[in-house]
Amino acid sequence: MLDVVFITATIGFFVIALAYVYACEKLRGGRDER
Amino acid sequence: MTLNGWLQIFFFFALILLVTKPLGLFMTRVFNGERTFLDPVLRPIERLIYTLTRVDAGKEMRWTEYAVAMLLFSAVSMLVLYLLQRTQGVLPFNPQHLPGVDSAGSTGSSFNTASSFTTNTNWQSYVPEVTMSYLTQMAGLAYHNFMSAATGIALAIAFIRGIARRETQTIGNFWVDLTRATLWVLLPFCLVGSLVLVSQGVVQNLRPYDSAQMVDAPSTQLIAQGPVASQEFIKQWGTNGGGFFNANSAHPFENPTPLTNLIALFSIFAISAGLTYTLGRMTGSQKHGWAVWSAMAVLCLAGVLVAYASEARGNPLLTGTDQTGGNMEGKEVRFGIANSALFATVTTDASCGAVNAMHDSFTPLGGMIPLANIMLSEVVFGGVGAGLYGVLIFIVLSVFIAGLMVGRTPEYLGKKIESYDVKMAMLVVLVFPLTILLLTAISAVSPSFGTSQLNNPGPHGLSEMLYAFTSGTGNNGSAFAGISANTLWYNTTIGMAMLVGRFMMIIPMLAIAGNLVRKKIVPPSLGTFPVTTPLFSTLLVSVIVIVGALTFFPVLSLGPIVEELMF
Repeated sequence: MLDVVFITATIGFFVIALAYVYACEKLRGGRDER
Repeated sequence: MTLNGWLQIFFFFALILLVTKPLGLFMTRVFNGERTFLDPVLRPIERLIYTLTRVDAGKEMRWTEYAVAMLLFSAVSMLVLYLLQRTQGVLPFNPQHLPGVDSAGSTGSSFNTASSFTTNTNWQSYVPEVTMSYLTQMAGLAYHNFMSAATGIALAIAFIRGIARRETQTIGNFWVDLTRATLWVLLPFCLVGSLVLVSQGVVQNLRPYDSAQMVDAPSTQLIAQGPVASQEFIKQWGTNGGGFFNANSAHPFENPTPLTNLIALFSIFAISAGLTYTLGRMTGSQKHGWAVWSAMAVLCLAGVLVAYASEARGNPLLTGTDQTGGNMEGKEVRFGIANSALFATVTTDASCGAVNAMHDSFTPLGGMIPLANIMLSEVVFGGVGAGLYGVLIFIVLSVFIAGLMVGRTPEYLGKKIESYDVKMAMLVVLVFPLTILLLTAISAVSPSFGTSQLNNPGPHGLSEMLYAFTSGTGNNGSAFAGISANTLWYNTTIGMAMLVGRFMMIIPMLAIAGNLVRKKIVPPSLGTFPVTTPLFSTLLVSVIVIVGALTFFPVLSLGPIVEELMF
């Protein structure tokens, strides 16, 4: 049972991390070349 | 303190100074794709790896692509290590017939270890010699020792490219950087280093454990052994820190002689020191690289001074007894006070976490130094790669503060530092204390699962708990000891803290690199704050200390500082 919990938690964490990448890029707002 | 002790400490610093330029130059050539003396052997292997994995080495990545590749690689590696531990009981290279890790499935130890080795932390809540099969040690843990270190180096190089390049979109190719870091920077040195360790008495075999008849009792002692040397050198070279044995570098099979101890100390700092030279070389400002090196050296020396003085003074509670050798509790006689204090400082300046003495047995102030070093985000040379990209975040903050002082837009090596860069830097800086303090606070007020696992009451108990979460979040991995952390609560929370402390700090850092790489180079003017002077080094040291001190001073006051005052 705990195996399922930990594997899900691991995958869940990395999905959040991928969303964090997207959020950081979104925050940048596509601004270029100053 | 003795003259002999200080001579050994300065000899170590001289070695690090000497290796900085050649290793930094070597890494510059490796990551610029230039020719090195290892190319005739390694270039065909590199090409074969790209062919087998279908990697297009010529394709450059934006920071988002670089981050996604790194995250997916880490996620898969972590899941494989988790499954390897759980199934080791039915897999080969298991002469002791050890069952799967956490075979009862109740402590979360497998998750903790998978997270720990993926994040270059190597926190060990288990006793390795009675938990891990040789297969898990070699194919699981040693693999991660290489890959997590290579990932750190790759990220540091990506950040340097973000500073060095101008008006472009890309910061390199993660797969190429990972491969080159492994093949050129890690494997050859580890091959030679492991053989040197074997010559000094570090064991390397695949035999079952030996059984020895005790001299003074009618019983036998099991003598654990295994493929130790091959994991021992990368343990330090890659600032991993996870020991083959529970006693880590205090164990005579891991660190048998003063020479192996010096090799360990040297290899913990070598790559990180070299990367400061690489920073200067790749950005075209060699003086800046040395300015960063100087700031790191000052912070390291300050830590060694306090730790050595505290331990040499002896235990104040034992006043009246002969303590001419200093506080030797928890230390190895073959290393003594100077090399124990130096090791504790170096292993926590870097994110290594190997220990040759028990930090829990240090005096309060001596034990506070390892703790404080991790709290400064391990940027004093730091973990391989992680130390450099960590200090670059502090540099962004330093030039921002300098810009505020003179009322000009802050610049760093010709790149304007703007609000987005500072916001991302603050995300990196804030996630670290938030995780540590929140989890320590919850544990401190939870007798059933938090404080019940402590071996000491009062301030020392708080230090034990604080150290565990600091070590985990800081991806250090050293243990203060004195806490039974192999429980579901600690394994789960420290496991998550390690993931947060690694990846949630890397992502904003890469975002800064991705933003800087797009910018034009602004010619220096009279208002530009120079980043090549002693003034810059001083400001950098001040920012690192102030950020660390302001954030953690309250909790340090309740732990080691109040314990020192109670004497």
